[in-house]
Amino acid sequence: MSAISTRPKRPRFDVNGWLFVGPALALIAIFMVFPILHSLWMSFQSGLGMRLSFAGLKNIYRLFNDPLFLMALTNTFIFFLVQVPVMLTLALITAALLNNPDIKFRGVLRTAIFLPCVTSLVAYTVLFKSMFVANGLVNTVLINLGIVNVGIPWMTDPFWCRVMIIIAITWRWTGYNMIFYLAAMQNIDRSVYEAARIDGVPTWARFVSLTVPMLKPVILFTTVTSTIGTLQLFDEVSTITGGGSAGGAAGPGNSALTLSLYIYNLTFKFAPNLGYAATVSYVIVLLVAILSFLQFYAARERKA
Amino acid sequence: MNRKTVALAFAGASLIAITAAQAAEVTVWCWDPNFNVAIMKQAGEIYAKTHPDFKLNVVDFAKADLEQKLQTGLASGVADGMPDIVLIEDYGAQKYLQSFPDAFTPLSDKVDYSGFADYKVKLATLDGKVYSMPFDSGVAGLFYRKDMITAAGYTPADMQDLTWDKYVEIGKAVEAKTGKKMMGFDPNDGGLVRVLMQSAGGWYFDKDGKLSVEGNVALKGALDVIQKIQVNNIFRPAAGWADWVGSFTSGEVATVVTGVWITGTVKSQADQAGKWGVAPLPKLSVEGATHFSNLGGSSWYVLSGSKAKDESIDFLNEIYAKNIDFYQKILVDRGAVGSLLAARNGEAYKSNDAFFGGEPIWQNFSDWLAKVPSVNYGTFTNEVDSVVSAHQPDLAKGASVDDVIKAIDDQAKTLVQ
Repeated sequence: MSAISTRPKRPRFDVNGWLFVGPALALIAIFMVFPILHSLWMSFQSGLGMRLSFAGLKNIYRLFNDPLFLMALTNTFIFFLVQVPVMLTLALITAALLNNPDIKFRGVLRTAIFLPCVTSLVAYTVLFKSMFVANGLVNTVLINLGIVNVGIPWMTDPFWCRVMIIIAITWRWTGYNMIFYLAAMQNIDRSVYEAARIDGVPTWARFVSLTVPMLKPVILFTTVTSTIGTLQLFDEVSTITGGGSAGGAAGPGNSALTLSLYIYNLTFKFAPNLGYAATVSYVIVLLVAILSFLQFYAARERKA
Repeated sequence: MNRKTVALAFAGASLIAITAAQAAEVTVWCWDPNFNVAIMKQAGEIYAKTHPDFKLNVVDFAKADLEQKLQTGLASGVADGMPDIVLIEDYGAQKYLQSFPDAFTPLSDKVDYSGFADYKVKLATLDGKVYSMPFDSGVAGLFYRKDMITAAGYTPADMQDLTWDKYVEIGKAVEAKTGKKMMGFDPNDGGLVRVLMQSAGGWYFDKDGKLSVEGNVALKGALDVIQKIQVNNIFRPAAGWADWVGSFTSGEVATVVTGVWITGTVKSQADQAGKWGVAPLPKLSVEGATHFSNLGGSSWYVLSGSKAKDESIDFLNEIYAKNIDFYQKILVDRGAVGSLLAARNGEAYKSNDAFFGGEPIWQNFSDWLAKVPSVNYGTFTNEVDSVVSAHQPDLAKGASVDDVIKAIDDQAKTLVQ
């Protein structure tokens, strides 16, 4: 069969080609591959600070008996399972609304909704913290509007603390995802909607049965990036709850302790156990891999 | 594995750096520009008068940033880019000394430790060697608003020999009469537990550094008080440091229970002059309870990798271990109570403070300093502390103290290893 091929055969090893990619490959090897392998090796070691020694599977055993790790894992999943769907739905709806040419000030509105995601993570979390303290702006407004009688215990109740974190991340990232949807919507051929309208398909059905399916690749993309982002959630919980500072819990009852924050604590706040911290970080790697695979699997193109 | 090669590469680079800077420059890392940084600069100026070649470079970091930078630097094993002297909070001392053996220089041969508060020396001792130049003390006191206490029907004399039960009772009276809360309290912060626990001579660890949670009388007594404060709702909730400071600078609470280093912040509100008093801590109702405790405080450490090790040690020794005038200066300027006991014989310590209605507060604090029970902070204070502060809200909901202690014990055991 290969005899049919008319393309000239390339040599297996092309010196010029390798010379071109060589420097880049060397840098990737030193600054990417080596640290990844080294951290994998570290995850089998244990000990304080510099005094690491080989520990075999001890760290993995410790994972399952570590209530704080299990709590961090649970919290991370709560944030991920609640926040990602809420945020993506919101982003999809706002994108659909702002895609309507009849809406006035579209440009201004789009910019306003996108703006949060160009603010610095730390700056906005500090702002949120001051807004959500016991007698902060949010409680004052809620009380004055008569929605609640006593201030909501954002900072002292585990449930409300998580709600606050979810509100914060949603505010920060909805606009970011909306931009992807908007761009994708503008690529959909108008004639499709025209035809649907002539066939008498109502607006909401056009959205559900036409827009959403045609956005599938983008929705998949945003789901995967948001999942990874949420699994690595750190800045918000660290700044708002002060969980990274010495002697502080990450929110009431560690309700905002995420895996990334726990890794940080194991490395920088607690007596440094770099080996165990490496093990926990590989848990995130594993979770991201599994969840991304599941999402790709669920959204795969089925051949009829 | 590759640490040696990397170290060699860096050593090559640092050779160039050494030849560039001939004069000994001592670099110091510390936090708080109004306190540690300013005080260290003052110390440098005094030392430079007798040592004209001496150059001091004080680098100001946020505390969390400094700890992260230090911990990363020590873990990398590369001395380059590290300071000569670093400030470490006392709770973390053993963590650093034990996790990074040989990273710090023992000072026992050069410094006479007999003049320092005993507990400050012990917490920086490892295998018989002392590694720190003890600096400020966090000796704790009860700062209270005389006007609010009086409005509630009590006198400053009532505040001198309190128990925590009485304190809660006064707290209720204060709220009934003035509508103010008794203290600002951050349920996510374990600071108050540490103050209470140490006042009865206890800690999360026993004298040998072993975890001691279940059966720890001092801890149980401390959590009892935390529960009473929360259940009786005599506190104004605070979220983080700034909010907590705001609780008393804005006049929303009647008392502050914390370390002496807060004095400067209390005094920063000129309109509250004359309204404040300072009393010894209320006492826990457990065996071994005293009116004296500590919160925070830190000490200076010299790194082994320092290129100006001798200069650094001599500088610290001359100013912090011998210069009584220096301690008077930083007391007046910054409100810093050092842990050199002889300093209290100086003029400044004998002065009365008009802001506190002419009370001899400095003399009082230094009296209390000598009586602070010595405890073993161990290696894992931050670990257990994060567990304890995570359980404080449970106490507010009425969980029994024994159950909470059991839960703390379970979680702490896995963290402490």
